[in-house]
Amino acid sequence: MVEIVFLAPFITGIIAFFIPKAMGRRLLVGTGAVHLFLSLLLWKNRPEAIFNDYFAVTPEGLLSLLVISLLFFLISIYTIAYLKESEIQNENIFTGFMLLFLSTMTMVTLSDHIMVMWIAIEATTLASAPLIYTHRSAASLEATWKYILICSVGIAMALLGSVFITLAMDIGKVDAPLSFSALTLVAKQLDPMWLKAGFVFILVGYGTKMGLAPMHTWLPDAHSEAPSPASALLSGVLLNCAYLGIFKTNKIMHAAGLNDFSGTILIAFGLISILAAATFILKQNEYKRMLAYSSIENMGIIAVGTGIGGIAAYGAMICMIHHSLIKSSLFLSSGNILLGYGDRFIKNTGNMVSRMPKTFVAFFAGFAGISGFPPFGIFIGEMFIIIGAFKTGHYIAAGIFILSLCVIFAGFANQVMKISFNDSDSTKTIGLKEKASLVWPQYILLLTSLVLCFYMPDTLYQTIIDAVTAIGGGLK
Amino acid sequence: MILHPVDTILSLVLLSVLFAFGASRLPVLIKVIAFQGIVVSMVPFFIGHDMNAGGMVFTFATLIIRGIIIPMSIYVAIKKVDIKREVEPIIGFHASILCGLGLIVAATYISKQLNIPSISDYKLLFPVAIALLVTGMFLLIARRNAIAMVLGYIMMENGIYLVGTTISIRARHIVEFGILLDILAGVMIMAIILQNIKRTFDDVDTANLRTLKE
Repeated sequence: MVEIVFLAPFITGIIAFFIPKAMGRRLLVGTGAVHLFLSLLLWKNRPEAIFNDYFAVTPEGLLSLLVISLLFFLISIYTIAYLKESEIQNENIFTGFMLLFLSTMTMVTLSDHIMVMWIAIEATTLASAPLIYTHRSAASLEATWKYILICSVGIAMALLGSVFITLAMDIGKVDAPLSFSALTLVAKQLDPMWLKAGFVFILVGYGTKMGLAPMHTWLPDAHSEAPSPASALLSGVLLNCAYLGIFKTNKIMHAAGLNDFSGTILIAFGLISILAAATFILKQNEYKRMLAYSSIENMGIIAVGTGIGGIAAYGAMICMIHHSLIKSSLFLSSGNILLGYGDRFIKNTGNMVSRMPKTFVAFFAGFAGISGFPPFGIFIGEMFIIIGAFKTGHYIAAGIFILSLCVIFAGFANQVMKISFNDSDSTKTIGLKEKASLVWPQYILLLTSLVLCFYMPDTLYQTIIDAVTAIGGGLK
Repeated sequence: MILHPVDTILSLVLLSVLFAFGASRLPVLIKVIAFQGIVVSMVPFFIGHDMNAGGMVFTFATLIIRGIIIPMSIYVAIKKVDIKREVEPIIGFHASILCGLGLIVAATYISKQLNIPSISDYKLLFPVAIALLVTGMFLLIARRNAIAMVLGYIMMENGIYLVGTTISIRARHIVEFGILLDILAGVMIMAIILQNIKRTFDDVDTANLRTLKE
């Protein structure tokens, strides 16, 4: 029974609104553990859904689901410690919406019907908006307003795109269920013009949610204003969910033989995102915004990889998994920095290496990983994408790609060095004891990335290959 | 050429778009949106591809929510929290109306180019849908008042609803359901944020929301 994976957190999420704080925290971790267990069961058995018109277990969905489960479980452990250290009014609302957010994201990974997918992605917006507004400041209010408005308009575009795909079915006289898997089988009979129009609107719509430039403007605000556990979820898994919508539509495009068209658009949006991130990351003075721009960069990298196809598509999948692991660890570490220094600006931090040594290890390792250093997985992913780009003759794209990565690395490194080694105002005390539950989740996330780089279980490897074969990818 | 009744009522929607562009006060704008909501959700009755009892009830429920409940709740909300009634345009009213005319002409031109067999009997359906979509977006951009922005968003959704429910028969109910859910939950959350904006800044002018940049 597939549906229970998203129904369980939905029910516990509703319950969390009405129970005392301490129980709510336990419920958060408990649901995280149960969810992880259910996802692993799903991996093992790959059952049919009860409502199999609407839901299905697909390789790309399974990959995202496992990432979501693992991240949520670790983040929930961190969240408990975080909630004890920080003052959050209405904690019930926070935990409740965290669980609802988990439920809606799980629904995205399992949905197969085009419209159900759309409803699920829209539901993630609605469930995550209250998380961004947790601190109830004027700035967080602005971030939430921007988030809701920009994403709602974006998602409305995706709906229009989905409607165009149904129109492509009508004109092509196709009689099939309106699901991604069924449409991929009959893709050749769909009307190409409306299919293309549908893809463009869906890419713009879900791309808004995924953080592709120039529709990314909500992302840095939302990520910097949300409490750190919520930012980690937003960046680590929400962006992947939106990407999944694009990925599945791209599958139809590939089956219809229109992959040149979709690939070119994906590469263009991807490169614009990487360039935008490179431009803005250089002068960021808040560390959480800096991390948010790095997410935009990575989403751009994934889009470029998917667009190029072949070995690069495999690289994009690797990047997606490792970006989730590493970026969420970075956001959790940034939560420690915020609690420790009590300030969001880089200039008011400093000397983290001796003042918060444990967080420093996590933050610095995360920085190395996200910038594409071995032995972390993003290195392999980016390598594959660059090789793929050269193989298929995308020389200009590869040039822009490599150059931007260098610029981003320089900008990122500059800021991280300031946080880590600059002199800091030693009269100010660090307001945080680095408890185990505040650093170990990050260590585990980074270790997972490290291990996956050297040893990938066969079933995981096979699932990635299954997922990317559908868009013409593979290790060839 | 005989005009289909659907085209007749849709021409009223086109006029209401222009009226909305010229409206300087929120209550007027809300009434226009309510009118559009009613008309747009009545269209499926006329284009009854296969209207069974369940479909009737569903469409009727949509009509009530879209045409009455949502506009009423926004109206009550602005009364209760005592929000300023002016829409505070970024682009002036006359310029807006001119832009609106241009957008409508463009929408008609574009939909002439696209040949959609299932709705070729209804001359105005696709033009109106596209016009609602782009003009809703225009309203979203060209007004600073947060409620006027929400109303622009609803107008856009009206346009998508018109496309979604008429173009394709197969996905109709799930599209209706999806949009309904979306608009209900979306407007509710937006309303909550609006109240908070009002409480924090004592106004719903989005010019206050300018501190986060880059």
